[in-house]
Amino acid sequence: MATAAQSMAGGPLGAILEVVALSHSFVHNGVVEPVLRDISFSMRSGELVCLIGRSGCGKSTLLKIVAGFLKPSQGQCLLDGRPIVKPGPDRGVVFQEDALFPWLTVRENIAFGLRGGRQARRELWREVERLLDLVGLAGYGDYLPRALSGGMKQRVALARVLIRSPRLLLMDEPFGALDAQTRDEMQELLLELSRQRQQTILFVTHDVREAVTLADRVVWLDRDSGRIGDQVVIDLERPRDRNGGPFQQYSARLHQLLKH
Amino acid sequence: MGTKDTALALLLPLTGLAAWFAVSAAGLVPGYLLPAPAAVFDAGVRYIFGTQGPYAGRFAGDLVASLSRVLLGFTLAAVVGIPLGICSGRLVVVNRLAAGPIGGLRAVPGICWLPLALIWFGIGLKTTVFLVTLAAFFPIYQNALTGARLVAPIYYQAGAMLGVSRVRGVFAILLPMAMPNIITGLRLGMGIAWAYLVLGELTGVPDGLGAVIMDARMAGQTEIILAGIVLIAVIGRICDRVLVLVLRLCFKSARRQV
Repeated sequence: MATAAQSMAGGPLGAILEVVALSHSFVHNGVVEPVLRDISFSMRSGELVCLIGRSGCGKSTLLKIVAGFLKPSQGQCLLDGRPIVKPGPDRGVVFQEDALFPWLTVRENIAFGLRGGRQARRELWREVERLLDLVGLAGYGDYLPRALSGGMKQRVALARVLIRSPRLLLMDEPFGALDAQTRDEMQELLLELSRQRQQTILFVTHDVREAVTLADRVVWLDRDSGRIGDQVVIDLERPRDRNGGPFQQYSARLHQLLKH
Repeated sequence: MGTKDTALALLLPLTGLAAWFAVSAAGLVPGYLLPAPAAVFDAGVRYIFGTQGPYAGRFAGDLVASLSRVLLGFTLAAVVGIPLGICSGRLVVVNRLAAGPIGGLRAVPGICWLPLALIWFGIGLKTTVFLVTLAAFFPIYQNALTGARLVAPIYYQAGAMLGVSRVRGVFAILLPMAMPNIITGLRLGMGIAWAYLVLGELTGVPDGLGAVIMDARMAGQTEIILAGIVLIAVIGRICDRVLVLVLRLCFKSARRQV
């Protein structure tokens, strides 16, 4: 069983994200409920890490802490060595549910929050077009979110964070609500983006098949202990053959973990 | 709207009108209680365009008087109601502070303020504007509050991770998201503003649409009362449409969400 220390074998030197001795508890009606205990791991530049675990294990909570939406009870997260204290465009988040702004077109959603002078804005709109192209939405710039399918909305959600060139892309079960066909397409798109842009991605999912398809490394959060139960490096060439033996073996191993 | 929808929408009004014609033509009701449609129409035309007679040509002046009272009161209510509602919807402290007194005031029927307003402000513009402001405030405030409260935290999180500060988020996220509710409140407020305008003008002000129908009662000119009522209905409806149009023209969030 790989420990947190081993996972940092690459050394914190090359790490973009370091999570250090992090614990978190929620208080419900005066009762303290711990969800995360003593979590430590790190991510290298360009790495795609999937956080898996059963519902209620705290994987989304961990992502929210890294995003800066939540302050951990103990411990801290470091991005490029600096403590994370609040949300910022260096950590783009793609949510599970639709979080696009409904009164803005696709183009305006992607440009949201960016400002600048006339010259900068002209450059900005060119960049928006490039991103529309990149996520496969060329020609949809003037659509309102309500006219888009679930998969297309998540493409916009991707584009609006990628335009900020985030150090770290945080994804909270982003394809969970999509149909199987669309989910496969989105996974391919994500892998293509991560390859092209050397994007570092922390991806939360409870879907084993998705984790084995995407991840360089899978981190399993054990719901019972609130700790990292195990880490599995997925040592498979891409594109991965989902019907192949090795893929099935990894899947079986992760399924076994989730049964705990 | 299709032909079928139009026909359906017109069915009840036309039936009512036909019944009115029939009742008048048959002489079932005396003219001083319910004048014939033609008489009301003539009175309306005289009131708007006429040059001779007691109410002839007064419409333009009355309209300006009433409209300015409504708009002044409505604007005051919106200027106070929207910010206060938004703050109450987002800030627990403000809500604790404001909810009790505002809830209490709302429980008082608006008409109760009339005697007090007359003592404070006398007969005329101030009393009418006071009543209109007070009445229009509650729906505007309540709907702004609801709209602000309904904005899901995920939109603030999305804004924050895109680098939008809290202060800018109020204008970039909160207000646009709450816009549909704010518009509902403004439209309800505009409707009720007209109701209280007439109430304020019934107290003896010399001009205004409400004043005219009250005055016509004294003079026994029932057809002017009815013509006035129809005109108030039409103008109220136009105000509502113009309000929505202006909001849609000014705000993307109104144009694309309502």
